[in-house]
Amino acid sequence: MIKRVLRTALPGLLLLLLWELVGHFHLVADGALPAPWGIIAQYWQDRDVYPVHIWATLQPAMMGFCFGNAVAILLAFLFVLMPVTERLLRGFNIAVFAIPPIALSPILVIMLPGTWPQIMLAAVLVYFPTMLMTLLGLRDVDPRPIDVIRVYGGGDMAVLRLLRLRSCLPGLLGGLRVAAPAAILGAILAEFGSGSRWGLGSFLLGSIGQGNPNRIWGIGLAATFLAAIAYTLCALLAKRFTATITSVTLPSGNIEATNARPNWQRGTNWLFSAAAALVPFFIWWAVIASFGVSPVIAKTPLGVWDYLFRTAGASDNRTEILQALEQSLPMASIGLFIALGFALGLAVMGTIWRTFTAVIMPAALVLQTMPLVALTPIIVLIFGRGVTATLVVTVAVTFFPAFITIAQGLAQVPKPALDVLDVYGAGKLQKLLLVSLPASLPYLCAAARLVAPASLLGVMIAEWLATGYGLGELLNVARGELDYGMIWSVALVSVGLSVGFYQLVSLVETIALRRYRTA
Amino acid sequence: MTTTLPTDELSVIGVTRSFSVGTQLLQALQDVSLHCQAGSFTALIGPSGCGKSTLLRIIAGLDRPCSGQVMIGGESPLEKRRQGALGVAFQDPALLPWRSVRQNIALPLQVLRRKVPDQQERIDGLIRLVGLEGFEQARPGQLSGGMRQRVAIARSLVTSPSVLLLDEPFGALDQILRRKMNVELQRIWTTSRPTTLMVTHGIDEALFLADRVVVMNRNPGRMAHRIDVPFPRPRLPDLFSAPDFHRLEDEIAGYLYEEAG
Repeated sequence: MIKRVLRTALPGLLLLLLWELVGHFHLVADGALPAPWGIIAQYWQDRDVYPVHIWATLQPAMMGFCFGNAVAILLAFLFVLMPVTERLLRGFNIAVFAIPPIALSPILVIMLPGTWPQIMLAAVLVYFPTMLMTLLGLRDVDPRPIDVIRVYGGGDMAVLRLLRLRSCLPGLLGGLRVAAPAAILGAILAEFGSGSRWGLGSFLLGSIGQGNPNRIWGIGLAATFLAAIAYTLCALLAKRFTATITSVTLPSGNIEATNARPNWQRGTNWLFSAAAALVPFFIWWAVIASFGVSPVIAKTPLGVWDYLFRTAGASDNRTEILQALEQSLPMASIGLFIALGFALGLAVMGTIWRTFTAVIMPAALVLQTMPLVALTPIIVLIFGRGVTATLVVTVAVTFFPAFITIAQGLAQVPKPALDVLDVYGAGKLQKLLLVSLPASLPYLCAAARLVAPASLLGVMIAEWLATGYGLGELLNVARGELDYGMIWSVALVSVGLSVGFYQLVSLVETIALRRYRTA
Repeated sequence: MTTTLPTDELSVIGVTRSFSVGTQLLQALQDVSLHCQAGSFTALIGPSGCGKSTLLRIIAGLDRPCSGQVMIGGESPLEKRRQGALGVAFQDPALLPWRSVRQNIALPLQVLRRKVPDQQERIDGLIRLVGLEGFEQARPGQLSGGMRQRVAIARSLVTSPSVLLLDEPFGALDQILRRKMNVELQRIWTTSRPTTLMVTHGIDEALFLADRVVVMNRNPGRMAHRIDVPFPRPRLPDLFSAPDFHRLEDEIAGYLYEEAG
């Protein structure tokens, strides 16, 4: 027992000691990495303001968490009971998933009063993970009990009540776990440019110029701690309801058969796709119309069109955006590839060398829960304001979800397939190359799809806070100059880009998976 | 296609294996000994939870006994399997969905780092042997349950194993298909006669295929009865309805129910 505690605690203590030494003697980037002791001393100095800042972030985060999750769960149920609604709202769902929150934040700030921008941004970030995981839980039900219920005359509602409600719980709670740190991140992001005095985001933004690494690290760690608590609370809840299920058999079933649609639906497919693409614009227009904000501030889709193609400076506006794109796009693509490679490498190392996972997981968990805005100033302190910093931020943002997804795929490789290889004395590397890696190809694809939009977000955050070029900078400048048309245009372009990224990766995924299952 | 292959005798000597379930200690196998002569076919039969599969996994080197040992031709399972001397087929065919039938059968050769092209003829021969001509390029998703199981059987034979271990290979098939597969397995087995140990729930399957049937009891898992099967080979499908066959079936059923009752 003592030995086990020692084995887990010792590396941590050694790391802390190393950190103290490195910080004390200013070994990293001329003092950019402060010693833990200095950070603690700074906490003591700032002890009066911290509770106020934390509460100012936590309260809207919690409200947004409740609000976003309520909508997410309700819509997930609607999607299951009326599948047509899901197809119509597909574009909306993808857009919400892909929206770089940093692009949405200035818009919410100019449209909404008080803490509402924070609440709304937290709600938007919370919506997608909860909706998706609840939907998966509701859908992914063993078909045999459904047959039993149907045999006794039960309808869709009976299946929902008796079966789906219980079986969606692990998914729903897993979604909440991912959503909890996201809510904190949303609340912090909306403080950027809100001009509000309180909140960890405002505190951080105000501290960047002061050149006090102790305080920046302190705020970053406080935000991480907050997000980690939220994550842990939801994870504990989820653990009570989730049993680990590893599939015992290899799914060699034919996927074509399950994807077949009735003929009448095939003809209307393009109609549905067109409607699904238009729905987000309609929702955008409806929200603006119902708010009754001045058209100068709140642009409708038509207003953005005017700004980009019809007003006097329209061509200048377009050039500015195109130039910014030229800087941001390559960064996002390169960052995505590095993050995926990195995640795959670490996940693979985890399967070959078990203790490695034990060492890497806490660090990865910190990355996951650490709100990326809090991370950026720290990365800038260490890596400077160049390309490296942008890439590091992008990888930091995208790495964790990719790593978790790929590691999950590697862990779910069916045991009988590995047993067959064992019988011929296969080594770890052979099992990996012949079975584990190809078997987790769907997970690798899912990871790419999951993090593709996030890579643009990472680039934009780095540009806003550090490097000073690209889309992020354009947004920041437009915000400062109250150039509303530009704010809306950059937001629209970045959402469009994220959605495009997502669709592109989805396309590659479909092609790869089709080759994978059938001849 | 009659080839004489090296076969090994298989000895299980005083094997004990227990699992801890929660706070309880479950005695899966207690002092189990078994000797299979080279080139013989032995069927292991018994109620669920009597440790049949555990025993098979220990022989395959997939699990370790708490005490006792397994010898295959005088060597340990771990040494033996590096030579490709073992073949296995489970109830789950465990085929890789992204590989064709041919590539799935070639998998053990790749693990053993043998050259697959040299063996292409042999692989095609096995495909013919299990009656899957024309499906060489098909993926598991395009095959029926019985066909997938035949691929698994072909794969278990690709290294010309001296010991063949079958864990309810037809357990997931229906009775009609199962009987057909029994007849085919006998035909396939007769061509090379590896020392074979098959775990099964089917009394008729055990009697039709095996030279000897071993009945196991549970709590703790142990050997209870050994029955020599006198029917000469090749055995034909009519055997299933022969009076002697039924008499032995009833005898074994008696051993099984005596324990259950």
